[in-house]
Amino acid sequence: MTHAHAAPALRMGIPITTAKLGMWLFLGTEIMFFTAFIGTYIVMRIGSPGWPTDVHITHINIALGGINTFVLIFSSYLVVYSHDALLQGKAQTAKLAMLITLICGVLFLGIKSVEYYGKFQHDILPGHIPENDRQAMNKLVNDLQYRLDGQLASMFPDVKTREDRLSELDSKLTDLQAKSPESAEFKSAAGLKKFADEFFFLRDHVRDEVSLAVSRPDMDKLRSESDASKIPPIALGTFPEHHGGEGEHHAEVDKSTVVGYLQAMQADPEISHFVSNYEVARIRPILYGNLFASNYFLMTGFHAIHVIVGLILFIMALMRNPLTIADAVFVENIGLYWHFVDLVWIFLFPLIYII
Amino acid sequence: MSHDHAESHAGTYFAVFLALCVFTGLSVLADTMHLGNKNVLRVIVMAIAVAKAMCVLLFFMHLKFERAWKYLLLAPTLILASAIPFALMPDVGMSYYTPTAPQHLEYERMQASAEHHSEGAEHHAEGEHAPAAAEH
Repeated sequence: MTHAHAAPALRMGIPITTAKLGMWLFLGTEIMFFTAFIGTYIVMRIGSPGWPTDVHITHINIALGGINTFVLIFSSYLVVYSHDALLQGKAQTAKLAMLITLICGVLFLGIKSVEYYGKFQHDILPGHIPENDRQAMNKLVNDLQYRLDGQLASMFPDVKTREDRLSELDSKLTDLQAKSPESAEFKSAAGLKKFADEFFFLRDHVRDEVSLAVSRPDMDKLRSESDASKIPPIALGTFPEHHGGEGEHHAEVDKSTVVGYLQAMQADPEISHFVSNYEVARIRPILYGNLFASNYFLMTGFHAIHVIVGLILFIMALMRNPLTIADAVFVENIGLYWHFVDLVWIFLFPLIYII
Repeated sequence: MSHDHAESHAGTYFAVFLALCVFTGLSVLADTMHLGNKNVLRVIVMAIAVAKAMCVLLFFMHLKFERAWKYLLLAPTLILASAIPFALMPDVGMSYYTPTAPQHLEYERMQASAEHHSEGAEHHAEGEHAPAAAEH
């Protein structure tokens, strides 16, 4: 017996390399990590009748989700193909396959960010979504108040409170009207004054829950009304049907409802620039919308982080020059990781996009 | 020894890839078919997802070819992973008490008003039916 041959590598009782065992143990923790999110999401869905499933409301796009599924499956195939090629000694083929995998991962993230952009644009964010009519009206009032305060602050940066700024605005308007009623300055001040008036009208009606059809003097009279049933209640109104194209233009605006009031403000040339970029859909109530958004961002966000980590691993592998059969264990391990990322998406796709 | 390469599984992998594509297509197809019962769709797409997961686990992740250690490693993991969903199920999922969360009440209100509306619509339709019949 000689020691010419190297002693067999220390084995841990399991016929795989320690690196691979380590990766599998890590994937075990990852399974528990994602099952916690996916499992609680399923439980929440079961316990929440009325969960938002209308894709026009949640802005979930099954086509984008389907394409992303295909992209991940394809990349998963490529990475296993890359490992296979490396074992055959075809290092260049292995590298090419891995490069395409990398591109697929970037493509996945690109499509994902298109989706995220839509979510931000429509304000489908945790804690931002009104879940009933009352919350929707309050949200509009808060958002418009924020815009009004911003406009007032930029016009009178030295004045502190809103009341003082408004009285400054009034005196500025009387000044300008006497001096130069045709100037652009007067027009912008008058526009802001009108926006403030419209805002306070809306705010007071929403606060007192009185229909917007009631004028201010009538509203003061109603204050002494003891019979609550005689007070016309405020209504949120109906939302314009989007994606319709034609219907949008022909839709009648009912100014006595909150939605109609906002649309009328957007149509008014004097004040439209304050509210034209405010999407009406931002105040559309979505029952369980916040829980939906929390779950959506938690699951897809952590998945996207895993995709980014995977891309870093692929770059590390591609930088190994030359890539040899000795790197097969490393390639297999990052492959295992990438398949797991694919596995998570396989469950996320039906759960988020279809069910 | 240097040319003693492992046997190539490229063909198997490609077949699995095609199977995964077909499965994905099937889930999208099931979604676009607008099945009457939403639960049927749920069972179908989740079954497809499990089938896809098995394809990835068994072939891409080589579990089919691994020895018994895979059970030793994965069984405790899966049992522990199911702990949170099982623990939350009675309270959050099934609500063993009468739920009074604002969303629950709002949903009940919406259901009630939808019922009221459809009843009203029926009445309306019935009322309109007579003059419409008379006209014809």
